[in-house]
This record gives sequence, structure tokens and C-alpha cells, in this order.
Amino acid sequence: MIERLIAIDVEHISVLVDAKSSAVAPSFRHFPENVKVRVVADVAAAIAEELAGYTQRGIGHSFINAANAYAETDLLDLFCFHREARQPVTRTFDRDGCLDLWVVDCAKAQPIDLVFLKNNADQNGAPRYFIREYVNRLLHPRDVRRLAADILRRNCGTGVSGKQVRPGVWIDDGGEVHRRARIVAPAYIGCASKVKADALITRFTDIERNCCVDSGTVIEDSSILANTTIGICLDLCHSIASGNKLWNLERDVAVEIVDPRVMRFTTARPRKWTAHSSGRIQAREEAGVLQKPEMPQRWQIENNNIQE
Amino acid sequence: MYTRGPVIVMELPEQLNHVEAKRFLDELQPLLEGDRPSVVLDCSQIKHMESAGVEMLLYCLEQAMKRDGDLKLAAISPASAVILELMRVDRLFEVFQTSEEAVRSFQIFAPATVAQTQPWYAAPYGLTDLKAAG
Repeated sequence: MIERLIAIDVEHISVLVDAKSSAVAPSFRHFPENVKVRVVADVAAAIAEELAGYTQRGIGHSFINAANAYAETDLLDLFCFHREARQPVTRTFDRDGCLDLWVVDCAKAQPIDLVFLKNNADQNGAPRYFIREYVNRLLHPRDVRRLAADILRRNCGTGVSGKQVRPGVWIDDGGEVHRRARIVAPAYIGCASKVKADALITRFTDIERNCCVDSGTVIEDSSILANTTIGICLDLCHSIASGNKLWNLERDVAVEIVDPRVMRFTTARPRKWTAHSSGRIQAREEAGVLQKPEMPQRWQIENNNIQE
Repeated sequence: MYTRGPVIVMELPEQLNHVEAKRFLDELQPLLEGDRPSVVLDCSQIKHMESAGVEMLLYCLEQAMKRDGDLKLAAISPASAVILELMRVDRLFEVFQTSEEAVRSFQIFAPATVAQTQPWYAAPYGLTDLKAAG
């Protein structure tokens, strides 16, 4: 979404991260100047604060997007629709219902928070913009997996970053694949990730940044999230792995792996996001200190079952 | 972008047993010794496949990979696919519907041509629907 906002020359982008989930704050390879990331205690209040700031700076309209779904649409068309509707708030929806993507008039919509947005935009007669393009609501880990596969299949607008070293195989900056490892297209190996000898990466697998797949391990139809190390001679299929947590989508079960030789967080995690008084984010590296990122609330593990 | 020599397309025999596999390998071996060999094996004629045949496929893949090349399978029958799945070697190969698509895949990635075994959870109806249906 941030890239698409930048693409349409949006003046200011504010990323508000709930302090409870600051470990999953976005990281940018090239930090755009007009993007400001803030870790906040109260997201709703922070939205109101940001909109007030925009109004003071003479900014008339704002897109508001909660990062709980992936939706693709023509943002300029959405903006034009909102202006023609002459209402303070326009909400988007798709065939399955409302989405948390709005356009608001900064001045008219104050005071504003997410509850106000939802109530206001859900009232009868409020303008609604229908999204016909790709939408993935990311309700379940399998949706994350589906999104990754759709990106590799080019079913959605987001492209694969990195260099296509051979048709259907992308390796991002600093990614290393051992000569004896086998990568079956389509597959993606992220920044600074390593695939060691005799490993097999196959069937729409994506390996995010700073991961390591050890020797002889097979990763099939899986997503390995950032900063994850997968041990030697394992067989990982139809799963999502993050650190020492594993969601097997075939069995619909989540497990926590205690043995660090099997799965663990990659040491020296590159960034930890902290709040700063001026609103700027400092990316600090805590050398040698491991910290498990908090998992999204709806994926909390309870009795090893994924809670939808 | 992808500088490659010509793609070699060969048709596997009907009976992929020990004798036929060895005979086939004798034919293919010299072609695998070139620089970055690009090989497509057409499996449309296969009616019977033994472990020796699978072993031969793995050997050919290994030889191609050693020289920075690749080996892809095309027009594989359901029976052969089952055998490859049973021996868990299917995931080592890129599999295409036709030889032409496999040949093109050496030049450009066309996702629609990649034969993918969809896991059950990717089906249009998920576990929730099954539970709801009783």
C-alpha cells in the first residue's frame, strides 16, 4: 500500500503502529522521506492527531488504511469518487463486505477515529466504493500463504522484488543459494537469506529476509517469514514458519518448536522499532540479543489450534 | 537475459524399467555433458515406470544441475505422477502440460503453465465449508 501511495505522489504517509505489536512494524529497504513511522499507544487518537496535523498543513484529503487486509485498487479513481460524492468519508468494500480503507476530508471528518469511520461510513446513504480488483482479507495464516503464492503467480499487482536469476526464481539482495541446493520455480529467496547445500525449495515457496534453510531441508509450498532459521534435513510442507512457530495449513494446527536445532529465530535480528519523542522512528540493532516478535492477535495459539 | 543454448527435448520410452532406462541414459548422457544443458523429457509415452526409471531421472537432473543446467518434465501421465509423488521426487522437477510449454519456460516464466498440485486448503471450499456441510 505504501508503495502504491508513493506511486500516486501522496505528500505525506504516516504509518501508525500499535505499541502492542511494534515488533511487526514495517521495515523499508530505502526509507522514503515522506513516510513517517510512529509507534503509538492509542491508534484511534493518533489518527485524529495526524489528520489535525494534515489540516494545519493545508492537506485536504487523506487515505486511511488499516493493515488487516490486502486490497488492490486504483487509488486515484477512489479519490475522484470521494470528491464527487461530496461526503466527509468514503469507505471501500468488495463482494464480501466492507474493507478498512477509507478516504476522508481531513477538516470535515474531525474529530475522527476508527469507530467514527466505521459508523459514519456504514450508515445508509454514505458513499461506498466497490473494489473489483484483488482483495485478500488475511483472516487466517492460509490467506498469507495464498497471497504469497498469488504474488509468485502474478495474480495480483504486487511484483516480486529482487533479481530473477532464472525464469520464476527470484533472489533478493544478499540472498545466497548454495550450488548444490535446488530451487524449483516459482520461488523467492529474500534479502540476506541463505539456502544451504542439498536443500530443496519448491512449489511456490517464499523465503523472506534474513532466513536460513540448512542443509538437506525441503521447503515445499510454504512461507518462511523473516528472521527464521530452519534446521538440517527437515521436510516442511504446506506451512508458514516464523521463528520457532510453525503453522501447518494442511492439518490446521500451530505448534511451537522448543528445540533450537529444528527451528529458531535467526540471531542478530536486524531491527527493533521504538517510539521516539519527536515522532521519528529509530531502528536500533540489539547485537546478540534475541527478541521474539509478537504474533498478530488473531493468530494467538491456544491449545495448539489456530483461532480464526 | 537468460543466455542458454538450444533446449533438448527427448521422449521417454513406454517402459521405463532398468534396461530401457539404461538405454535411454546412454543416449542422453553425451547431451548432458555440454555447458548448461537445458533438457525437457516428454513423459507422454510412459506406461510403466519402475524405480530404476526414477533413479535415472534423478541422475539426469543431478548431471544437469552440476553444469548449471536444468531438466524439466512434460506431459506426465497421472499414473507416472502418482509414482513420482509416492517416491517424493515430484517436487524436484518443474512439470509442464506440454513439451512446448516446458521449452518456453527456459526463456520466460509463465505461471499459468506450471502444473501445480493444489493442496486441499487452496480449494475453493475450505474446512469451514466441509464442517458446515456436516
